[in-house]
Amino acid sequence: MAKPDSLGQFEQLVLAAILARREDAYGVSIHSKVRELAAPKAVSLGAVYVTLDRLEDKGMVSSRLSDPTPERGGRAKRCYRLEALGERALAESAVTAKRVWDGIVEIWGKEWGKRPGTEPS
Amino acid sequence: MAPPKSAQILVALFTPPASREEVLGDLHERCTSAMQYYRDAIRTVPLVILSRIRRTADPQLMLMHALVLYLSYSTVTWFVDRPMLHESWSQWRLAVPCTVTLLGMILEDAYARPGRRSALRLARGPLLGVAWALLLKSALGAGHSGLALPLGIALYGGALGLLLTSALRLLFSPPSTSPQGRI
Repeated sequence: MAKPDSLGQFEQLVLAAILARREDAYGVSIHSKVRELAAPKAVSLGAVYVTLDRLEDKGMVSSRLSDPTPERGGRAKRCYRLEALGERALAESAVTAKRVWDGIVEIWGKEWGKRPGTEPS
Repeated sequence: MAPPKSAQILVALFTPPASREEVLGDLHERCTSAMQYYRDAIRTVPLVILSRIRRTADPQLMLMHALVLYLSYSTVTWFVDRPMLHESWSQWRLAVPCTVTLLGMILEDAYARPGRRSALRLARGPLLGVAWALLLKSALGAGHSGLALPLGIALYGGALGLLLTSALRLLFSPPSTSPQGRI
């Protein structure tokens, strides 16, 4: 089984967005989910495209063109799907993030973990 | 709201064909005003181009092309105007057409339509690059710039470079042969 590359923070956000959007994961929907996850940081659509290309090159996601739709001016969507390698990399990142979270809560206390905006999703 | 036709044409013109469909569709879907569309396009399209270049340009192959081009122009200079090689700016004069040719090849690969690549299509990149180098030589010459190469060196060096880089591209095909890149 191929060992997945470690993920950058933005790559984790994009993979998590694809996971959340399921069948409806394409440029605009992924971007809106990434913005939601990265708030209050601003995220550009271009940055999402660059990361999707990189993840596709790494074999973590795959894409296909859907049928054209009128609300997009007759243009097709490029729909993305998480591949097994991407799922494994995301799972590893989540486990690491959880360990970091537990380590911080251990030092800073449980009260810190209950503050608004610090809850793990 | 539908974006302005002129803006869509501009975006379609600058976006590499491999990404054109989804980028135009996504920008159309997000469009709320003409100004917002332009802002979105300006922030998105350059990154799409850079990402496509990253996918289609192999750094090792590019380095090989750069060396081959430099050797081509240097060899021709050796035969046509040997004293030029000892002038103070000679290396820069030789580097200019090499850089422009390389740039032409990189852009041709990034903007190539996805699909199978024939030998003719592989030679189109170097051909475009050499044509650009000759155009730049004419422009530099017209401006009496010291960086312009003599016509003979530009022509023969370009022809030799075209031949060698085309052969190199036939032997080591550029990475992107599928619509999405390296898959």
